Amino acid sequence: MSVFPSPRPAAGGPIIDFDPAACCLEIEGLSLAYGETPALRDLSLRVPRHRVTAFIGPSGCGKSTLLRALNRLHDLNDEVRLAGSIRLEGQDIHAPEVEVAELRRRVGMVFQAPNPFPMSIYDNVAFGLRLQGGMRKRQMDDIVEWALQSAALWDEVKERLGSSAWTLSGGQQQRLVIARTLAVRPEVLLLDEPASALDPISTLKIEELIRNLKSQLTLVLVTHNMQQAARVSDYTAFLQEGELVEYGATDTLFTNPRLSRTENYITGRMA
Amino acid sequence: MSRFGRARLPRGEGPWPWLAAGSVALSLLMFSGLLLLLAVRGLGHFWPAPLSLVALEDGRLLAGQVVREERLPGGAGRERLYLTANRDLDGAIWSWVAVDEIAEESHPRDLVVLERTRWGSFHGRLLALEDAAGRVEGEAAWQALQERLGELEALRRERAHLRDRVVVPLVRRLERGADAALAAELGAANARIRQLQARMGGTRLLLESVDGRRLEQPLEQVLRAWRPNAMSAPRKLAAWGHGVWRFLSEGPRAANTAGGVWPAIFGTVLMVLLMSVVVTPFGVLAGIYLNEVAHQGRFTRLVRIAVRNLAGVPSIVYGVFGLGVFVYGIGGTLDEWFFADQLPSPTFGTGGLLWASLTLALLTLPVVIVATEEGLARVPDHQREGALALGATRVEMLTRVVLPMTAPAMLTGVILAVARAAGEVAPLMLVGVAKLAPQVPVDGEFPFLHLEQKFMHLGYHIYDVAFHGGDVEAALPLVYATALLLVLVILVLNLTAIFLRHHLRARHGTVPRR
Amino acid sequence: MTEPLPPRPEPRRQWSRRLRDRLATLLITAGGLGVVAAVLAIGVFLALEVAPLFLAAEASLGWGELWREYWQPGTLPGETPAYGMLPLAWGTLKAAFWALLFAIPLALGAAIHSALYMPPRLRSRLKPTLEMMEAMPGVVVGFVAGLVLAPWVERHLAGALALALVLPAGMLLAGMAWTRLPPGLRRRLLPGWAGLWLMPWLALLATLSLWLSPVLEGLLFNGDLRHWLAARFGLDYASRNALIVGLAMGFAVIPGIYALAEDALTGVPASLGEGAQALGATRWQSLWKVVLPAAAPGVFSAVMIGAGRAVGETMIVLMASGNTALMTLSPLEGMRSMAATIAIELPEAVPGGVHYRLLFLAALALFAFTFLVNTLAELVRARLRRRYRRLEAAT
Repeated sequence: MSVFPSPRPAAGGPIIDFDPAACCLEIEGLSLAYGETPALRDLSLRVPRHRVTAFIGPSGCGKSTLLRALNRLHDLNDEVRLAGSIRLEGQDIHAPEVEVAELRRRVGMVFQAPNPFPMSIYDNVAFGLRLQGGMRKRQMDDIVEWALQSAALWDEVKERLGSSAWTLSGGQQQRLVIARTLAVRPEVLLLDEPASALDPISTLKIEELIRNLKSQLTLVLVTHNMQQAARVSDYTAFLQEGELVEYGATDTLFTNPRLSRTENYITGRMA
Repeated sequence: MSRFGRARLPRGEGPWPWLAAGSVALSLLMFSGLLLLLAVRGLGHFWPAPLSLVALEDGRLLAGQVVREERLPGGAGRERLYLTANRDLDGAIWSWVAVDEIAEESHPRDLVVLERTRWGSFHGRLLALEDAAGRVEGEAAWQALQERLGELEALRRERAHLRDRVVVPLVRRLERGADAALAAELGAANARIRQLQARMGGTRLLLESVDGRRLEQPLEQVLRAWRPNAMSAPRKLAAWGHGVWRFLSEGPRAANTAGGVWPAIFGTVLMVLLMSVVVTPFGVLAGIYLNEVAHQGRFTRLVRIAVRNLAGVPSIVYGVFGLGVFVYGIGGTLDEWFFADQLPSPTFGTGGLLWASLTLALLTLPVVIVATEEGLARVPDHQREGALALGATRVEMLTRVVLPMTAPAMLTGVILAVARAAGEVAPLMLVGVAKLAPQVPVDGEFPFLHLEQKFMHLGYHIYDVAFHGGDVEAALPLVYATALLLVLVILVLNLTAIFLRHHLRARHGTVPRR
Repeated sequence: MTEPLPPRPEPRRQWSRRLRDRLATLLITAGGLGVVAAVLAIGVFLALEVAPLFLAAEASLGWGELWREYWQPGTLPGETPAYGMLPLAWGTLKAAFWALLFAIPLALGAAIHSALYMPPRLRSRLKPTLEMMEAMPGVVVGFVAGLVLAPWVERHLAGALALALVLPAGMLLAGMAWTRLPPGLRRRLLPGWAGLWLMPWLALLATLSLWLSPVLEGLLFNGDLRHWLAARFGLDYASRNALIVGLAMGFAVIPGIYALAEDALTGVPASLGEGAQALGATRWQSLWKVVLPAAAPGVFSAVMIGAGRAVGETMIVLMASGNTALMTLSPLEGMRSMAATIAIELPEAVPGGVHYRLLFLAALALFAFTFLVNTLAELVRARLRRRYRRLEAAT
């Protein structure tokens, strides 16, 4: 059903552009500042649907800030000032009629350190469902099972859904967080360095999960691990000091970056 | 600084650290000394003290309990204070005796102590028990006495029940409108009371003080009798237990020199309960507002500082505020609107349960607010973000994730508030307590909870008895006991709060947000 | 990926969730602001009640009249009431002074020992213990002070005063003796635990001193210290006096000062003290020269808060001071504090009358004083925290 996006280099520059119809998220002229300190400068890019897009860059470059702008988490911070627009499926997410809670359901987020609630595994996954309300127990059970299966966690926890989520290992907790996010049926999944706190085996499991989820969702991944970006993503955006430096197909960006800045960053890290 | 504290003091530290260490020791010594004093004097009061028969050099005899011994000024020896009771025979209940003048002191097993409703206690010997059936003497008299006292107790209880639960409410209802059925009920109750009176009367005790004076004592005025020198240790322990129980369950008697503090306990608990009902929602709400909803700018910071400072404002100031705003202001207005027919006798325009609870709620509000805020700050941001990222509204995030995690901290705050309120007396002197309010503000009559009534309070009771009582020496043991009770309650509450807080920190072990 | 995907959530419920969110936020805001306003209204209300005294034409009072030395508002008919508030202010300050005189050395000493010498485990037990000391209700402390301590001190004045010399001397003696102990015993009686094992030693000394003091009193003061004081210095001894109040209120105030001073001392970055020690200073020297000066603002604010507490304490003064409106310097005489006066006289004062409003003025003074002192202390502590953070970051 999704059109394979045809990358069109914009006037020979380092930033590819996508056909808007194939895109889930459109960011245009986004500038963001914490009080007086700018964090993002006039950023524009489009995130294609049903693909994995990675944001990479040195620490402090604004990749996490950009990610959190996509589900309006910055609303919590009074000091943040924002200019420009972000559109989800054509709709401006900052429009006054937009209900933020519903936006955040559609654009789910997984954080760096696993943060399951101090509840049972079942209650964690069902949390979002209970918010929506009006669901019978059987229906909820089905969805919980489906979500845990999608997150590749079902087999490990099906015997102990009632036990506390904090008894799980780090990798399992992160998959639980993914499961509870999937349960509310988002369209986009934002992942902020989801495996940086995990061991290598759990990391590989998460990466496999990301690849599998592509068919249902659009995924945006922030990572400082370039091998991970190379393994998992279809498209990669390189940010530096709040600016979008280069944005292209992952293979191309890593093997043949157009800008020397990009090359310096990539080779410096890979060495 | 924590890495600094090593257990060893190298040789050349000098003398000063020892003063510092001594300060800790002295403070702890004072604290434990105070607790020990209260415990010994307070609990010791209920232990049946031996009764001494003292024969003086000049031939006088007296029977009394030793209270204390002091040296006479100028080094002239020592003297002892005896509680000799027998106010009706001697006119006074205390005797100071110079130790040098004591020829002999013994503890005869047949000496008797009677606790009476009039004239206080009696020390002496039981000669005989007389009633319509005849006269019993000697040991048989003692057995008969104990039996009769048991019966008497049951009769007294029935009479008190009839009086308080039946007659008084009936009289009140009849005042509002005559009703033949009610009047008949009242008549029947009164008749039963007269019947009980008759059964209780008619028995006399023949008593003799140790120096030979005789006394005829109506039995119905006697509450308890025991022979302290003939009691075994287990019997004394049982008597001690009963004494403590009576202290907790009875009301005060004989101008607060005997009886118990039950109305004060009830009043204190009731007031504290009402206060918690008011302070918890408002304190929690304000804490949530300051921490979660309000824009975190300079204004919020100032408000936070102001709230914490208010915790340091003297409690008497809150009392003044309560008097001005609640009692005279709102209370006076309520009286004008709803109780004008009772004026100039004030209903709500004077101190009472409601105003006292509200004033103390205001006093302890900062405690609850601060505890709630600390609890909220301890909930890590990533939990909040996790909830929001799943599509929760802010209120849903608060109610489903944050507040459950904060519940123990809020509970700690309420417990600390209760502990503080239980001990505050100064504001209550202005807004609510009574010296003697034997009727507790809760009874069987609508609206069941009488918010406008004055009530007794443990702390105020201590002050009142210690400073406005007649015979302070006689009331002193009960004041100790009341003080011990109050201190125990407060210590237990504080320990609970500390334990909760400790348990919280161990469980969460997270870095606070601010 | 396995089964077909479950249906989507329903929009009608979203509206009710939105509504609930708005309503709840409104409720929280209203409640929060309301509470904050109520709490701040106290000062405003007091000021409003006092204002007619000086502003309104009818019940007005000149400032000069308040400055007199005689407080006698309730009088027999025919006499004019006197509204001099000086004795009340004097009494309040005198009580607070003696309380702090007693409390500050003990609280600071305890804070120093606790912060520098105590092992952390013991310190974490000491803190809650002193917290419980703070929780002791004023009425109980006042009762013990007024009804037990006061008569006892009156009878054993020499012994009580001797304690003030004997106890510190005993602490120093213990220190000297400790350095001469064999190392085996020294390891058992660790200085870090001295706060505990000095307790029996001090108790023993106190008992001995009290036992011997009649003998000394006989030798030095002809057997009666009180008589001697009266004859020699003209000092009258009131059973309930400033000494008793100082002891009792000091006892109540020690935990508060201790907690804040200890916070201030432990807040000083360890690197400061360690730096001094690396240069050869003993722990005590590094305390005096480096740590205390760094923590001074925090310690000062602790003392300020203690002063605020002492000024506002009602029950202890009510029960242990004799409530005599005197203005003397002697610690052996009683006094009358503002708080105690309010507690006794306000219930009887006619609402709206001069006496009533003057008592409100006293309450306002107490409120303003404690509020200011606490705010100052809090600002000092905030500044100190910032300074520490900078120091910590720099080192």
